[in-house]
Amino acid sequence: MTILSFLKPVPGLKTGAVAVLSSVLLTACATSPTSPDGSEDVRAKLMELQQNPDMMTHARIELRDAEAAVQLAEQPLDDDEAALAAHRIYMADRMVEIARAKGEIGLLEADRALLGEQRDAARLAARTREADQAHADAESARSAQADAAALASREAEELQRQIDTLEAEATERGLVLTLGDVLFATGSAEIQGGTNQNLEKLANFLKQYPDRNVLIEGHTDNVGSAAFNQNLSRQRAESVRRFLTGRGIESRRLSVYGYGFERPVAINDSATGRQQNRRVEVIIENRE
Amino acid sequence: MKTHTIRRAAERIGLFTTLFLATLTLVACASAPLPPTESLNAARDAIASAEQADARRYAGAELEEANRHLAEADQAVEKERMTEADRLAKQARVAAQLAIARTELAKAAAINREMGRGAEALDEEMQRQGDQQ
Repeated sequence: MTILSFLKPVPGLKTGAVAVLSSVLLTACATSPTSPDGSEDVRAKLMELQQNPDMMTHARIELRDAEAAVQLAEQPLDDDEAALAAHRIYMADRMVEIARAKGEIGLLEADRALLGEQRDAARLAARTREADQAHADAESARSAQADAAALASREAEELQRQIDTLEAEATERGLVLTLGDVLFATGSAEIQGGTNQNLEKLANFLKQYPDRNVLIEGHTDNVGSAAFNQNLSRQRAESVRRFLTGRGIESRRLSVYGYGFERPVAINDSATGRQQNRRVEVIIENRE
Repeated sequence: MKTHTIRRAAERIGLFTTLFLATLTLVACASAPLPPTESLNAARDAIASAEQADARRYAGAELEEANRHLAEADQAVEKERMTEADRLAKQARVAAQLAIARTELAKAAAINREMGRGAEALDEEMQRQGDQQ
């Protein structure tokens, strides 16, 4: 029975046992070992991977397994074991390919870290730029505001200075500049002396503020007829307008009225009162 | 002479009996060889894993190869060619493992492409913003 059981074929011989046997055979026939056809190709593929440091880094275990499979495929076999040889070569070949795929995956993952860094760097740069831009925007907005405020305050100061120079009075109707009767000879509409400091100042002011229009109103005392006074007051106002247009002020900005003695500012029963009533008022309209 | 003949006959019978018994035993054993269950299961598991990883999409050829080897292994089992069945099952398994590896590779490459595109897009965006300023 022991003999019989020894005769029993063992199914599924372990490849390890085959390997050991083959090794023994190989050692025994060391003088003429020939690897099965096709094993050189697998060996060449494997060597190519083994010479690549990236592959060795990322597929160390898979390359080790492939190496063992290739070594097994290289074991010489008898001619009647071609099927086994083909099987071993197939196994070795696929294991080399697995190692290659694993190595490439490892490389891609390493690249990914790099790509992530690049992206982070790009993001950081974007944020830095945005922050810088926002900062610069805020800065320029602040300075623009400050500039505008400074300009406005300078302009206001300048206007006030001009108004002070004109000795004008700020009223609801606008700035009222009163030109006294010393400007005109009695009964005459001509401006005395040809020039007048107050009128020069007014001309300069109107040049500087070209968006302001002007009402020129002539007034008289109650000496003489209403028609005479009305006419005289208008002519005096016209004289002022002529003076201003002569200084380059557009006539369409200048409106002229003659009120005669309709609008006295003082009582006409004294010389002083009458003198106060003989006047030309220049009203510089407020800006809309 | 006669006894000699008888002894020879008996010897012959004994030899035949031995041979017959041996043959019987061999036939009995050969009629029930064990299929390579372990290899076949390992192959099926590997193919199932590959399919789960969506290898049909990313490594269809490799998965098909694994399935073909497994089918051939099953046929070999039916024909009681167990050694061949074992080898085919092992080939099916390694082919499925390759399908998994190449599927992972394809997925990894897709992720990297996506990341690359993202970074490029960001760079371009930055460039554009930079140009506007």
